[in-house]
Amino acid sequence: MSELADALADLDEDKVRSLVRGRIDAGVAPMSIVDECRKGMDIVGERYKSKEYFLSELIVSGEIFKEAMAVVEPMLGFDKQAKQIGRMVLGTVKGDIHNIGKDIVATLMKAAGFEVYDLGIDVAPGKFVEKLTETGAPILGMSGLLTPSFGSMKETVEAVQAAGLRDKVKVVIGGGIVTEQVRKYVGADAFTDDAAEGVEICRRFAVELK
Amino acid sequence: MIQETMTPRERVEAAIKLEPYDRVPVAPLMDVMFPSRHKGMTVAHGLSHWREGFQAIVDIFEKVGGWDAMILPGYSLALTPSVGSGVTVSLGSGRYRFPGQDSAVAVDSQPQYEERELLTVEDYDEIIKLGWSGFAEKNRERFTPFSPEAIISWTERQTAHYIKEKQTWDTKGIPSLCGAIVESPLMFFSTKRSLISFTMDLHRVPDKVQVAMDIVVDEFIAEAIAATRLTAIPGVMLVLERGGGFYYPLKIFERFEFPYMKKMVEAFAAEGLLTVMHFDQDWTVNLPYLKELPKKMCVCELDSTTDIFKAKELLKDHMCIMGDVPASLTSIGTPEEVEAYCKKLIDVVGKDTGFILSSGCTVPADAKFENFKAMIDTAKNHLPIR
Repeated sequence: MSELADALADLDEDKVRSLVRGRIDAGVAPMSIVDECRKGMDIVGERYKSKEYFLSELIVSGEIFKEAMAVVEPMLGFDKQAKQIGRMVLGTVKGDIHNIGKDIVATLMKAAGFEVYDLGIDVAPGKFVEKLTETGAPILGMSGLLTPSFGSMKETVEAVQAAGLRDKVKVVIGGGIVTEQVRKYVGADAFTDDAAEGVEICRRFAVELK
Repeated sequence: MIQETMTPRERVEAAIKLEPYDRVPVAPLMDVMFPSRHKGMTVAHGLSHWREGFQAIVDIFEKVGGWDAMILPGYSLALTPSVGSGVTVSLGSGRYRFPGQDSAVAVDSQPQYEERELLTVEDYDEIIKLGWSGFAEKNRERFTPFSPEAIISWTERQTAHYIKEKQTWDTKGIPSLCGAIVESPLMFFSTKRSLISFTMDLHRVPDKVQVAMDIVVDEFIAEAIAATRLTAIPGVMLVLERGGGFYYPLKIFERFEFPYMKKMVEAFAAEGLLTVMHFDQDWTVNLPYLKELPKKMCVCELDSTTDIFKAKELLKDHMCIMGDVPASLTSIGTPEEVEAYCKKLIDVVGKDTGFILSSGCTVPADAKFENFKAMIDTAKNHLPIR
């Protein structure tokens, strides 16, 4: 494993900053720096799975990753699309303005190599459908923290169905109070209350959709 | 219907003191949202019309034939008449977007929490220097447009409402459990700095965060105790979400959450006050620590994400467990599903003593009446399997 990946996995913010800067100055290809950072994030994910790390470490690593990407991303050009493993439309559903869970998922999904079309909060069903149609993204992620969000998620799935996209789009819902009962009610393909598990679900979807 | 041999107050006290009860007591965490909607008012209307909103709670109580306790007597706040306590509330409510006041929140929706940084990382230094009240008074204009006089007058009105709510339940023989609400220092800073920024603070400036917590905890304790004296309710709700295993490893919990929780609960117990620990999110890995808290002086209130059966197993000789009918079940489930869930809780967690059946967190705004009633009825009709 590279020094940069290890530094990110160990949450050593200063070292990551310095190594990224050093690689840029040395003329290392930007995509290779991204790959190293992603490997570091993969280790974070493994440590989370083995319960060595908690949500807090996912947050810290995500912030360090974001900071590194802010430096590297402008140099990426076409490489960026070539290395993506999937695309998803993401948002907090209509009537719900909670953003924190969605934002953590968006960061982790980007770190895993997904292109994320983040529509923000209070997103109406039509907006989700519009973005799915425009981008052709095959994964839809919907977030909500309140019980009324279940109805909005259900309406969105129905709107996706009405637009003729349901067979082409996998739907995952997330939030602190979603359950299997909610998944069935909404008509989603998967649910989770765990950001890292959400990434795993989307990775699985990306493989299935190939 | 079970033949009742205890009053609601006796039944709830028995559960808290781990003594036998005639049946499992039931006490939903009820605010104005569900009752307002059920009565045909919008949530926005119920929230902004105290008398009508509170009456809607009383009406729901009567309609289901009553329950055994109010965890909080209504939806007012118990506050000392001070700028500091008012600014603390402004900081808290500044994170919320209210129906009827914010176009993004439908009039029939519950208030929604917006995660943003109300305190900056630089504020820790000033809080350490001035204490929380000193900081709040000095920075009042950052957090509220109101004058010190208007703030104090508002805190007095809130507390007067709180006392009236409590008196209403007293006349019905229904105890109110909490005469004040307070957050742990970690919960306080996490919600005012925002989860991500506060988590980065713990990573980047942990010593400074700890010193700030050391400063604020004594003020939080003093404010809560003073508020319980005003309301004459011998209990405090300690609001906890962010410090548990869902978010942080035990090394963070052991340094930044548990010592402060313990200090608060012990200080309240020394004053004869019960602490209802309101746990949102999953605290299963933290449960063993709760055995270090004063015996029979706490209630462990769970929201369905912590393993309530594990809580019973670990804490059955130590403290009362309360919870945890999931909001999703009350909202989209059926009465039969609610009844089955409650029966399992009563049989396992309610066996012998030490359990109060309740909603997992607040009864949701869009709860179905028949589901809510199923929860209340099951407590009244189902004895634990012996």
